[in-house]
Amino acid sequence: MIGEGIEVEVLDSSHSQVKLGIRAPKEVVVLRQEIFLTQQQNQVAAQETSPAAVSRLLGTLR
Amino acid sequence: MSQIKTKHLGPINYDDSSVLNFPAGLPGFEDQNQFVMVERKESAPVVFLQSMKTKSLCFLAAPVNVIDSKYELSITRDDLKVLGLEGPGPFQPGTGVMCLVILAAPQNGPLTANLLAPVVVDVRTRRAVQAVRIDSRYSHQFPLAARQSACS
Repeated sequence: MIGEGIEVEVLDSSHSQVKLGIRAPKEVVVLRQEIFLTQQQNQVAAQETSPAAVSRLLGTLR
Repeated sequence: MSQIKTKHLGPINYDDSSVLNFPAGLPGFEDQNQFVMVERKESAPVVFLQSMKTKSLCFLAAPVNVIDSKYELSITRDDLKVLGLEGPGPFQPGTGVMCLVILAAPQNGPLTANLLAPVVVDVRTRRAVQAVRIDSRYSHQFPLAARQSACS
């Protein structure tokens, strides 16, 4: 249990992986940290995609 | 050939073979299911992932090996299911799979690549997923300045 009303359950485990289930009230957003970071990062990436941004990238990548 | 209007690339002509289908969208963009992959000689190795739904949404990406030539792909069973590639035994990335990373070029920040979550495409079906890793071996903000030269 995490606090009140959030349950953690091991659903499956193998040699290198554990699958966890999290049961939480509807108003609680449950998100894997890496997905959260990627959501944020996609927002950042989508902000600036002008030709100027492409030029900056090419200046480093080429 | 079809055409769509875009904010930064002007009107683009594309055929179905350059449309990538993301059945699950991308994290933070779950309602964006179709992107046209645009490759232009003058912009290589940058490739454009232009949303078919939103004119102003266009991710900048590059093949993963341009950013890290030793990158080791790791993809979850759930993501393989999205691609329709789940099978018995471990997944072997082969020639049938293309792997891109999304680049970020914020105006007041460093240039980075999201190596934590590469875009994996099944070349045959054109199905794609942004495969968020379950380990923290690679950064979501890998600085391009730290890139090892591929031709050293």
